[in-house]
Amino acid sequence: MSSVPTHRPLSRRRFLQAGAGLAAWPVLRRPSRALAQAPARTTKVLDFTTGADVAKAEQEGEVVYYGHDGEAAIAALLEAFRKDFPKIKTNYVRLQTGALYAKITAERSANRYLVDVLQLSDISPAIDFQKKGGYESYLSPEYASYKPAYLSTPAGSFAWVGVTFAGISYNRSKVKPEQAPKTWKDILNPAFKDGISAKLATSGMQHAQWYMLRKLYGNDFWQEFAKQRPRGFDARAQLFDRLAKGDDRVCALAEYGGYTLFKDKGADIEFVAPPDGLPATPAILGVVNRAPHPEAAKLFMDWAVSNRGQSVYQNTPLLLYGSLRNDAPPMLTGKKLSDFKLLFPSDWADFQASHAAFVKEWNSIMGL
Amino acid sequence: MSTSAARQAGRAASIEVRDLVVQYGNVVAVRGVSFSVSAGEHLTLLGPSGCGKTTTLRAIAGLEKPAGGEIRIDSAVVYDGRSGAQVPPERRGLSMVFQSYAIWPHMSVFDNVAYGLRVRREPQGEIARKVGEALELVQMGGLAKRSAAKLSGGQQQRVALARAFVFSPSVLLFDEPLSNLDAKLRAEMRIELKELQRRLGITSVYVTHDLEEALAISDRIIVMRDGVIEQIGTPAEIYDLPRNAFVADFVGSANLIRGRRRPELDGDGLVVLETAGGALVHGVAHGRGAGGEAVFSARTVHLQLSRERPAAPRNVWPARVRSRVFQGDFTQYHLDWDGRRLVLRCVTAEPVAEGTEVFLSLDPRHCVLLEE
Amino acid sequence: MATASRVRSWRPGPSLVSLLVGGGAVVIVFYPIVYLIQASLSVGDPQARPPEAYGLANYAGLERYAHIFWNTVLVAVVATALAIALGFVMGWILSRTNVPRREVLEQLMALPYYVTPLMGALAWSLIGSPSGGFANQVWRALGGEGHLIDITTPYGIAWVMALFEGSVAFVMIGAVMKSMDPALEEASQVLGAGRLRTMLKVTLPLVLPGVLGAAIFVFAEMLGSFSAALVLGLPNRFYVVTTAMYQLVSQYPPRFPQAAAMGVSLFAVMFAMIYVYRRIVSRGSYVTITGKAFRPRPMDVGAARWALFTVCLVYLAIAVLLPVLTLLYASLQRLATAFPQLSNFTLANYVTALSLDAVRSALWNSLLLGAATAGVGVPLMGFLSWLIYRSRLPGAGVIEYVLMFPQAVPRLVFAFGMLWAWLVFPIPIYGTLWLLLIAYLTVFLPLGIRTISGVMLQIDRTLEESAQMCGASWSYRLRTVTMPLLRPGLIAAALLLFIASVRELGASILLMGPKAKVITPAIVESWFSTSTELTAAMALLQTLAVAIALVLLFAVARRASRPIGE
Repeated sequence: MSSVPTHRPLSRRRFLQAGAGLAAWPVLRRPSRALAQAPARTTKVLDFTTGADVAKAEQEGEVVYYGHDGEAAIAALLEAFRKDFPKIKTNYVRLQTGALYAKITAERSANRYLVDVLQLSDISPAIDFQKKGGYESYLSPEYASYKPAYLSTPAGSFAWVGVTFAGISYNRSKVKPEQAPKTWKDILNPAFKDGISAKLATSGMQHAQWYMLRKLYGNDFWQEFAKQRPRGFDARAQLFDRLAKGDDRVCALAEYGGYTLFKDKGADIEFVAPPDGLPATPAILGVVNRAPHPEAAKLFMDWAVSNRGQSVYQNTPLLLYGSLRNDAPPMLTGKKLSDFKLLFPSDWADFQASHAAFVKEWNSIMGL
Repeated sequence: MSTSAARQAGRAASIEVRDLVVQYGNVVAVRGVSFSVSAGEHLTLLGPSGCGKTTTLRAIAGLEKPAGGEIRIDSAVVYDGRSGAQVPPERRGLSMVFQSYAIWPHMSVFDNVAYGLRVRREPQGEIARKVGEALELVQMGGLAKRSAAKLSGGQQQRVALARAFVFSPSVLLFDEPLSNLDAKLRAEMRIELKELQRRLGITSVYVTHDLEEALAISDRIIVMRDGVIEQIGTPAEIYDLPRNAFVADFVGSANLIRGRRRPELDGDGLVVLETAGGALVHGVAHGRGAGGEAVFSARTVHLQLSRERPAAPRNVWPARVRSRVFQGDFTQYHLDWDGRRLVLRCVTAEPVAEGTEVFLSLDPRHCVLLEE
Repeated sequence: MATASRVRSWRPGPSLVSLLVGGGAVVIVFYPIVYLIQASLSVGDPQARPPEAYGLANYAGLERYAHIFWNTVLVAVVATALAIALGFVMGWILSRTNVPRREVLEQLMALPYYVTPLMGALAWSLIGSPSGGFANQVWRALGGEGHLIDITTPYGIAWVMALFEGSVAFVMIGAVMKSMDPALEEASQVLGAGRLRTMLKVTLPLVLPGVLGAAIFVFAEMLGSFSAALVLGLPNRFYVVTTAMYQLVSQYPPRFPQAAAMGVSLFAVMFAMIYVYRRIVSRGSYVTITGKAFRPRPMDVGAARWALFTVCLVYLAIAVLLPVLTLLYASLQRLATAFPQLSNFTLANYVTALSLDAVRSALWNSLLLGAATAGVGVPLMGFLSWLIYRSRLPGAGVIEYVLMFPQAVPRLVFAFGMLWAWLVFPIPIYGTLWLLLIAYLTVFLPLGIRTISGVMLQIDRTLEESAQMCGASWSYRLRTVTMPLLRPGLIAAALLLFIASVRELGASILLMGPKAKVITPAIVESWFSTSTELTAAMALLQTLAVAIALVLLFAVARRASRPIGE
């Protein structure tokens, strides 16, 4: 049962208000300023609807993507887009979320606008970027297939193109069966000292786990974890690479997608979904304001949130996100998102505000 | 050839150096040197290493920046210490032959020699002609196409020479050009250089530490020591009439005889010194030395050795042979005389054994009073 | 008075040119440093640009990073000791003994430089990771317990640094040994001392000043080392100043002021070291390398020649063959292990690597950038060398000081300053290859100038003076005499700059943009975000591409350097 962020319940009153507004549409002819502009004209291209001018997008000929997934993963994603739109070249920068956001804000503060679409793995910088007016206000026609909880508030800045969640994973040959972790508290087991890994402070997923487990187990939880002298890394590929080779015994932030990939490669690893739940974080994609290729950016956005794009996100082995579209099929492994107990922060504002504290504490846990 | 020599001779320049001072950091290499060189003259700067002769030459060339003084070439100022004005070397119209020859290994002999003409943008035909003539003059005519990296030392030297005069400079500077050659070659090249200079009639300033070279080829010699000029004069003047002990011993080997003036014994245009040991020595003064103590210089080759007492009225003393050194063309004897040692050189004849009592004689005209 | 009677067209005099060049150099070199210091003094909101308040709080706050400074010094000291030891032994073998095939071995000694530190670190990570490393797997298979070597300890990191970044020690010590008067050693032997005793009592003390100078120089370089610590240290929570800086600016919110303060501290220490080094070197021994050097007669070591030959081969095997073979071995597997099953072998990594547009474009960019660095750098640095050491222009000493300045700054720190500075520079070159080119040219100034001026100083000054005396102006001389004589040295410098540019990590990792990816940071990114096997494949592809490019360059250069008139 996934917990959903707090959202004003759809009361009858609001429904009537919305309906009245809709009825008044032809009379008013001016959209409320609180809502993003719906695109003037939508076209159907391939099997999805887009608000971008496809011909213009192809004329622009390029889309620049900043994202946090592994290099090969991004390459696969962009390759899929290029297959659908061969006239549009793709360029990307890959950095972990913290570094990525630092880069884009630095660039923009110096009036360099190089980015078309931005994908982050942490909602805090996304909200921050939204506040700064970094996102283009664009309502994709494909948003209709998403619950409002999985879009920005107000809608039009970004969307959740996928969800990743993490449990615990361990190397079966390195961990005795009786020591195998079962709950989150088990990552504090001194037997795993100097043999346990997690991500660095730049990671959005790590921020989510830090926040959620603090809420569950108290503020001292991570100080106890620091005693384990954990090792920090930049990407799930690295975490699982080391786990598979036995360089680490246990991984405290084991993303399901990463586990699936390496299990298929033949690694002797096991995945544990603690009963208290699995911290989850969305992958957040948005069109950037003052993009060098605005139409291509919108086209990419529409593609990404459509069934077409979502199947790429969900099925590409290197990505393996869970899709949040209303009509999304099960993941590659056959499981659906609803099969897992996902933990999301209930108060996004509080979550965002905790970021600075997270970075400070996590850095010192990691020895910096 | 003579027409070109005449043409070139007309371009020779005069040089005037006044109160030149050159410093390297805290070391003063040249301390206020003044001299002049007339057009067409061959002047040599002679002295031991470190005396400042090369520095002076390079200052004239413009390769060193002096600290004070004035240098004029043909009355045009090329360096003025007061205003600091300095004409760069490439614009002084001089030419130089370096000690290391400085032949460019990446060019042929022809290109090396033609360099100065090409800089002056002379037409191709003229260049070919002049280079050909120059190479003939230094006897390198057939080697124009050879790569300069493949020349022997002597050949490089000739190419350096040809390169230096081919563009008819007004002054030729030589920085110890023969010191890297072996003795035999040096002696030959000396004569060739002299003839060449005569032919071309270019003003030459020549630096060397080799006495024989200086005496052989110079019109005038400047003897330098520690950055100052000790004496200026023709080779004969320097040799026969050294001004002080340093020059006397540097230009040929000399015995220095110190003594008290005995003016009452002067006569026949000669002056008399009485040594500490009581010997009376007669010599010529040439207007020098008015004080009570003075020094005579007597060249080793002017002392005469004989077993019997010679007939001369003056300057005959007994002495004893201390040691004998055979030097091939000449033999050197070290004699005990007047409680000190004297050195004598003579053409090798019947050797006189050590310990023999002999007689020394000296023509008073060869006994020269030094300035003190 | 001037002999040329033709009208002279106005050419800019050397003073004007040196002023322009010197001024340009000062700006390019100091601009980032100024910004770096400004960033370090920024207190108040770290995101505010320009800083809203100045103070020394960041430096005071460095206390909590004391363990990082300690790590940096520890690793640098050990790496220097290893590098000097290796350099001394190899230098002694190759310049003072009659080991067979000396010339060939000397050429081969340059190879570890081409195996970039990053590749070396990757390979040794594969070999020496405490659990998954090949050597440790073999050790356990042979019955050993735990692990044989742990490359992720400070000593392991120092080992990799010494092996791949310490080759400059060999060059410097070798040069010192070559300029020694052999008669001194011969005197010792004639008086009855054995060969070993001669080496210890005569050779060693004589070369000690030179070795000391080399040690200081190498220590300064090691302080700024980045690749080995990044690949090997980060996974083990082991930070040095450069990797800590990288982390601090890579996160959100980035901690520019603290990173800048760390950078300035490191730079201050390096500056002091380089200053001491130049004092030692300027005491005279430098000049003996120029002009007429001694022709040292090698010592006859008898039957030990072959043992020494083996030592050289072993060194080359460890430094060159081992990393390449390891990477090859790993890149051909799905999940790299020391004892793979047949089914584990695959070419998929190469297929993926080649298909990754990032790899193709990054490789292309790197080669292009390398060629540009060499192509622009050589004439530029040649001219600058001439300006400093030959032109006798006023201010040459100051210009030399300015241009050698980047040596005292770790390249990552320099790039950080550039990042900070060029973000606000009006010319829109941020995120392009042009910015990388400028960064490379700036940080490689000391390398290029040192190489070219080394050759330049060996050219007798009188060769240029005689051209002067023939009436040639400075530009004519430069063109007809100086440049042709320098050609072999210029070619060597071009190759050196090409390689240095391709292998550069610290400077490029901060300055890349979406369209300006270069291969070495791309390999690092791959290391962090994809599998080891894919990364190994990428690294080998880079080596192959660079090797091909070098062979081509070398062939072209050989053709161009044939002397005129033959």
